[in-house]
Amino acid sequence: MALAIERKAVTKWVERLLELGEVIAPVRTPCGDLLFSIVHSAEEVVWDSANPLHPPKAFVLPQTDPLVKITRNGQGVELEPIHDGARRFLVNVRSCDAKGIAFLTRMHEMDPADASYLRRSDNLTIISMACISPCAVGFCICADSGPFLNDSYDVQLTDLGETYLAEVGSAKGQAAVAEEPNLFRNATEEEVIRRKNLEAAARNHFGEENCHFGSAMRRISTGRVPDALWEKMSDWCLECGACNFVCPTCYCFSVKDLGGNGTWTRCRLWDSCQYSAFTLEASGHNPRAQRKDRMKRRFFHKVSAQYYARDGMVGCVGCGRCIKVCLGATHMPAVVSAIRKGKWHE
Amino acid sequence: MSAAATTCPFCACGCGFYLLQRKGQLAGVAPGETHPVSEGRLCARGWSAHEASLWGDRLRQPLLQGNGKQQSVSWAEALDHVAGRLKELMNAGKSIGVLGSSRATNEENYLAGKLARAGLQTNNIDFSYYPICYSLLLGLEDVCGEHIPSVHFSDIASSQVILLAEGNLAETHPQLASAVMRALGNGAELITLSYKKTQMTRLSSLHLQATPGLEGEVIHGLLAAALDLGLQGPAYVDIDYEALVRELHSVKRTKEARQVAKSIARAERAVFLIPATSGNADRQRRNAAGFAKLAAITGHLTRPSSGLLPLLARSNVRGACDMGVVPDRLPGYEPLDNPRSRDRVQDLWGKKLPLASGLSVQSFLQSVSGLVLVADNPASVLPMGQRAMDAMKAIEFLVVLDVFKTPAMRIAHAQLPIASFAETNGTITNMEGRVQRVRAVTNPPGEARGGWRVLAELCARFDIPGSYSSATDVFHEIGQAAPRYAGTERMSSQDTWGGAQVEHPDGAKSFVIRSTGATEMATPTSAEHPYLLALDGAFDWGNDPLVTFSPTLNRDYRSEGKLFPGGVVELGQSDADALKLRPGRPARLISVHGEVVVSVRIKTDLKPGVLFVPYAFRDCVRNVLGTDSVAGVKVECA
Repeated sequence: MALAIERKAVTKWVERLLELGEVIAPVRTPCGDLLFSIVHSAEEVVWDSANPLHPPKAFVLPQTDPLVKITRNGQGVELEPIHDGARRFLVNVRSCDAKGIAFLTRMHEMDPADASYLRRSDNLTIISMACISPCAVGFCICADSGPFLNDSYDVQLTDLGETYLAEVGSAKGQAAVAEEPNLFRNATEEEVIRRKNLEAAARNHFGEENCHFGSAMRRISTGRVPDALWEKMSDWCLECGACNFVCPTCYCFSVKDLGGNGTWTRCRLWDSCQYSAFTLEASGHNPRAQRKDRMKRRFFHKVSAQYYARDGMVGCVGCGRCIKVCLGATHMPAVVSAIRKGKWHE
Repeated sequence: MSAAATTCPFCACGCGFYLLQRKGQLAGVAPGETHPVSEGRLCARGWSAHEASLWGDRLRQPLLQGNGKQQSVSWAEALDHVAGRLKELMNAGKSIGVLGSSRATNEENYLAGKLARAGLQTNNIDFSYYPICYSLLLGLEDVCGEHIPSVHFSDIASSQVILLAEGNLAETHPQLASAVMRALGNGAELITLSYKKTQMTRLSSLHLQATPGLEGEVIHGLLAAALDLGLQGPAYVDIDYEALVRELHSVKRTKEARQVAKSIARAERAVFLIPATSGNADRQRRNAAGFAKLAAITGHLTRPSSGLLPLLARSNVRGACDMGVVPDRLPGYEPLDNPRSRDRVQDLWGKKLPLASGLSVQSFLQSVSGLVLVADNPASVLPMGQRAMDAMKAIEFLVVLDVFKTPAMRIAHAQLPIASFAETNGTITNMEGRVQRVRAVTNPPGEARGGWRVLAELCARFDIPGSYSSATDVFHEIGQAAPRYAGTERMSSQDTWGGAQVEHPDGAKSFVIRSTGATEMATPTSAEHPYLLALDGAFDWGNDPLVTFSPTLNRDYRSEGKLFPGGVVELGQSDADALKLRPGRPARLISVHGEVVVSVRIKTDLKPGVLFVPYAFRDCVRNVLGTDSVAGVKVECA
């Protein structure tokens, strides 16, 4: 059953959510950027806006993530897990990011389950906003991650003008709506039809030249991408790691202890498979010493049929952020296109 | 989680990002699309910029040490002690030096300069990177005068021809490499001039191979080819054409040089990217002037979106220059002997400036009895690092203000902990001359405090007028001391990235091209020492505390040092075969200066007869190189 909430009433709903936990939403910085931030009042939330450049991933998987407190105790040590069980509401997140968090959660649920991550994601309620027109760089339609969602959200809002259609996708979503039941009413049949029409229109607005994963997948999964092409492409990568850091589905990490004098905090840090020493072994051997090998690895993980079979989707939600942050020119659509055509553009 | 818009502390590109904080602790970095330099693109260093402040070895309280004892003291005690000891040295007629830093803010550098000249009455003030970029800046000044026309990064992306003299731009300045890549995407022609085949040379449409120490041949070959085209330069260039033709008469013009000269002359917009290199100062100065002459006679010095960009390594090299943290310049990078500048600064500071000329860091480290060192470890920056460290150990009273416990801080008699870029406010000036804000997002550990505050309190103990309640007050005074910065002040009150451009006071631009005499260079090789050994690069991030204390970055840099603790020499496969050298095995290098044994690494991209040692290992081969960056060597299996 779809619900509806008046545009003006959304602020009231957010105010109620603020009493229940942290509310995270796009906020305009004084410099003019949009940044997912913890908001302190409902007015701070920016509703009609582009997708922020930095994904909300950091709220389930922080760049610096304290996991365990280690204290020396005589000859041994005491370990104390660090809990982050804060209740959080992620508001006005786009379909691609909701899908990204669902991807991360599936990964961290795999055996052995990651308790630290799951504690965060279990307590996170995702209130997403369907995209009624494609964003400038997005290609979610190719990655089956938008512009509207059928899953991966707790509540999905669709902007119908004076009202938002609110679809509840989970018990967490139901609970969030139940906090202010008076603000919601059942959607009319006409509203549900409008939502369907908006979705069809949004899909139609995507151009032809997007990201053809299928074609790239066939080649990459069967080792039919020539080494020379990887080498050529790798000259256009500056090894910044930005594609990993802004990717809603990337989760690679390293572990480092912070502290000293008998007390340490074991932290998980974001890491990049594009950094040369990421796979450096203690012996000094590096199985992926060359940049082309690291690129090959990244795109195999993202696009191959082998990983598709495991994850049920490509390792990309089509948000297009890598296009904007890539210091070089080797973002997802460029590489997929080169693999598909067997040729790097120059 | 809260965020502060700030400027990257690493290289002189001056990218901007949001530094994130959670529960009082640094948590990460988020890109900002609105930043005029980086537009949301950051390199690996930028993405890990929060790590060093968090993981760094930090002192929490001022510490005095001497006679084998260490004692933590209060700030008042520490500063009284430091001022007292420095005054004792002054009264005893002993010399004192001050070092600013290219990783300190403008405010910190400005006050370090004020302390030196107004308080300690010495012109022995410098910063460790200055000896590396000095000759480059001087060579450009020889042609351009005081105000080197600089291009903006956005000009690079829109230029038609890019002449890139490189070390390895993709590694040293990824943001600039990115701009070059975007230019290539827009159809620009990239011409590289380098010793090695690097990532950027592979993207170039034409690569000019240079030999270390003899790069002048290529540069003057380009200049000669440009003159052959009949170019006499635009009217604003005062050129002694006859002398220049005579000077370049015997210079070899290769086919490539002719082609490049034509491309540059034809282009409406061309940029010249010129890095600082280490080695013989005259040679570097002549080479830099050569590039400037080429830019001048091809008309690219005053055309919009054309020009020269000296590539500086660390974040605030330009700011340190502009703050007058060098022996012979005052704030504004104005000459110390310019009466107008002197009067202005004397009036502002209320003190007479010292008359005796100052020494450069490499010289005064050997002779001073007292040293105030701000936020740097000279041994990890100077071309002769070990020599600097040995000299510092012999200094009677060493004061170090630093964020991190560097090797220099560990041997200091007074150790004063200051705030990192994530914990203090201030400004830094990128290589384009963009003055940008640094903002505190967390508190410094323990009692550590902003460097500007510590220096201001030291100044007060030398009865120098000036009272500052914030870094903004210091910046306000900088605008008075250096009129070029006066126009940048309005940005300090704004809540944005900042980013006002340092102004050139006079609009009139004129350039002078004079013959510099002989352009022929002696090759360092000989029959007895047939191989050319050269240092590769002029800065080593691997020894910078911003990298060594960052777990993510240090992993990549440290791996090389761990594999070759005694140093490494790189050579091509054909040379290795001829010399019967194998990877990882030792080789003996012998020059007229001495000999050393280092490990061998085979590289596929090297020209036969040329051997390289990464700058990080310069001290390992110092006995062979002498004071230069190149030497003829004999190579043996060791």
